[in-house]
Amino acid sequence: MEQAIYTPYDYLPIIVQFLAAAGFVAFAMGVTHLIGPKRHSKVKDEAWECGIPTVGNARTPISYKYFMTAILFVIFDIEIIFMYPWAVNFKVLGTEGFLQMITFMGLLMAGFVYVIKKGILKWE
Amino acid sequence: MTSIILLSVFGIINLFLGFLKSNKILLPAVIIFLAIVFGVNFLDWNNPQSHFNNMLTIDNFAVAFSAVMVLSLALILPFSRSYINSGNPHLAEFYSILMFSLVGAIMMVSYENIIMLFLGIEILSIAMYVMAGSHKKELRSNEAALKYLLMGSFATGILLFGFALIYGASGSFNIAEIASFSSNTTATDLLPMMEIGVLLVLVGICFKIGAAPFHFWTPDVYEGTPTLFTTYMSTVVKTAGIAAFYKLVWAVFPGLNEFWYPTLVAITVLTLVIGNIGAAIQTSFKRMMAYSSIAHAGYLLIALTSFNDYSENAVLFYALSYTVATVAAFGVLKLVSDQREGETYEMFNGLGRTNPLLAFAMTVAMCSLASIPLTGGFFAKFFIFGSAIEAGAVWLVVVAILMSAVSIYYYFRVVMAMYMKEPVGEKVAVDGFAAFMLIFLSIFTFIMGIFPGWFNNWL
Amino acid sequence: MIQNVFYFLCFLTLISGSMVVFSRNPVYSVLFLILTFFSISGHYILLNAQFLAAVNIIVYAGAIMVLFLFVIMFLNLNKENETHKSNLSKFAAVIAGGILLVIMVAALKDVDAGTYKAEGFDSQIGMVQNLGMVLFKNYLLPFELASVLFLVAMAGAVMLGKKETGERHF
Repeated sequence: MEQAIYTPYDYLPIIVQFLAAAGFVAFAMGVTHLIGPKRHSKVKDEAWECGIPTVGNARTPISYKYFMTAILFVIFDIEIIFMYPWAVNFKVLGTEGFLQMITFMGLLMAGFVYVIKKGILKWE
Repeated sequence: MTSIILLSVFGIINLFLGFLKSNKILLPAVIIFLAIVFGVNFLDWNNPQSHFNNMLTIDNFAVAFSAVMVLSLALILPFSRSYINSGNPHLAEFYSILMFSLVGAIMMVSYENIIMLFLGIEILSIAMYVMAGSHKKELRSNEAALKYLLMGSFATGILLFGFALIYGASGSFNIAEIASFSSNTTATDLLPMMEIGVLLVLVGICFKIGAAPFHFWTPDVYEGTPTLFTTYMSTVVKTAGIAAFYKLVWAVFPGLNEFWYPTLVAITVLTLVIGNIGAAIQTSFKRMMAYSSIAHAGYLLIALTSFNDYSENAVLFYALSYTVATVAAFGVLKLVSDQREGETYEMFNGLGRTNPLLAFAMTVAMCSLASIPLTGGFFAKFFIFGSAIEAGAVWLVVVAILMSAVSIYYYFRVVMAMYMKEPVGEKVAVDGFAAFMLIFLSIFTFIMGIFPGWFNNWL
Repeated sequence: MIQNVFYFLCFLTLISGSMVVFSRNPVYSVLFLILTFFSISGHYILLNAQFLAAVNIIVYAGAIMVLFLFVIMFLNLNKENETHKSNLSKFAAVIAGGILLVIMVAALKDVDAGTYKAEGFDSQIGMVQNLGMVLFKNYLLPFELASVLFLVAMAGAVMLGKKETGERHF
């Protein structure tokens, strides 16, 4: 099979879309600031204007369980990354490549089973 | 190669053994696993092979150093009894992470490709960052882990930048190709790039083995890390680092000899002086051992500056004798500090009267580290100095001998405390396994000191 | 055209990279870091390494930045407990960094890295197909052993992160 030739120019539409999105955000925000009415008062300028006085600081410590989930997510995310180049070459690599990937996945799945058995992902 | 696979698999098995009700089985299981790996490792003896497109070469050099490192871990683990007795919920993780880190250490001594070296260093370092912080509720341990992680990451970054520049100059990660590029004097256009790369790699590796002037993390991290893992750091990590360094300078950069040689000699002298003088002014025994490990990195670096028939064997012998003595010293420290709450010299006061066995093992270890004749340490330094004199670096040996004289002062401080001072506490309880290990380590030290020939002609 | 894009991306990378360091507010630092990753991805695209560009955004700007934000939230960084470094250590750091810069520039200014050779040049070398072939043929062993690295990280995270029963969850 003849491989398609990719060049950086293929990304031109994405850049255009990116610029359009950023441009719309800037435009919308600028226009609302310009044409919207401006009323300042103590209550109006609060971060959460909902009638109830704010209590405490937003930077309170959060439960470690979010962190454990996030850090395990990163590890498996990186693992998934390795699968893209493998999947693209799946036919060329054949059975041998399949076994290699099984080995890699097997080691990590052992880790995953370990994490589940250890109860890290349990939310109580 | 088989040993790497086995260690990974055993590590996972061990992780799952942790789910059993009793954690009594873990230690015997790990020791058996390590014994199997130790035996399997020798299958590749005198049968040098390269694996997976020249990623790894298992030659005698790799086998011998792997054996020393597997042996070190097997010698260290019997002192983990206090973790078992206190019912530590993470015992299986401790053992598994140490076994996985051995995979990294073996990669570091058998690499044929710079990528493998980097991956090995990463596996070993990440395991060590975790182990440094393994006493979660102790502030010192947390501090050690954070310091080690932050500085270690920077060192890894510098190392990686060095590798990138070397790759950019030579166009290959394979060490044979890099070596042939660096000895090819016609490629002058890219030589500065290569040289900067070599320099950055030197910095990174010197950090990992704790050589001055990149040693600043060592005392703090060694002091804060739980003693069991400090032992691992100062034996296995150092052995792996030195062996990787040896291979790096003599198999990868031999062509740039004139460039890195003066740098390495300067680092060696600085390490010897700072390590020994630093150790002499410490009041904490554990901190003294940290500086002493810097000093011993200096002696090992002397062997690196000379490349001849003796140097490989000298490094191996030194690593073995240093490992045995250090494990014994830290083992005694762990037993004593678990019960006497502290790590100063005073804690050892009168140990000779309350616990003659501990005091004897410690004395033998200190004699070996101070290289008193009849112990392994004496011949270790003898071979290192012999190799250096053969290479013509007599003044380096003179500096090293002067510094060894300094070392006698601080090693014998603890011996004096044990035999000359009044006891400060009760008899320290020692379990049978640890006592057996201490006797074994002492006998091993004497065997190395009396029959050095048995260990000195492997490579 | 390409050259101008390159210079623009370099400018963006360097500016946002230094803003990461100079921002007083750690959350701003993280936002600038995301910008840095995006501009580095732009460099990858210019090098025609599209897979790396995508991975860089997914893993770094996506997953790892989330972790950074978590850590910042954990640290409870309020204005009052911010400590200031002494001027001496700042001064020493500037000198050390400056010396490194001087050495690097002095050594690398004479390097002639050459240009690409048209006959051996393959513009598709950074595509995911070629990358996969290199990864699964030549660099198979490092790939497999990377799983050991992940296992160490996983076991380490569990060991350090798991709270014992009865402890507070934050």
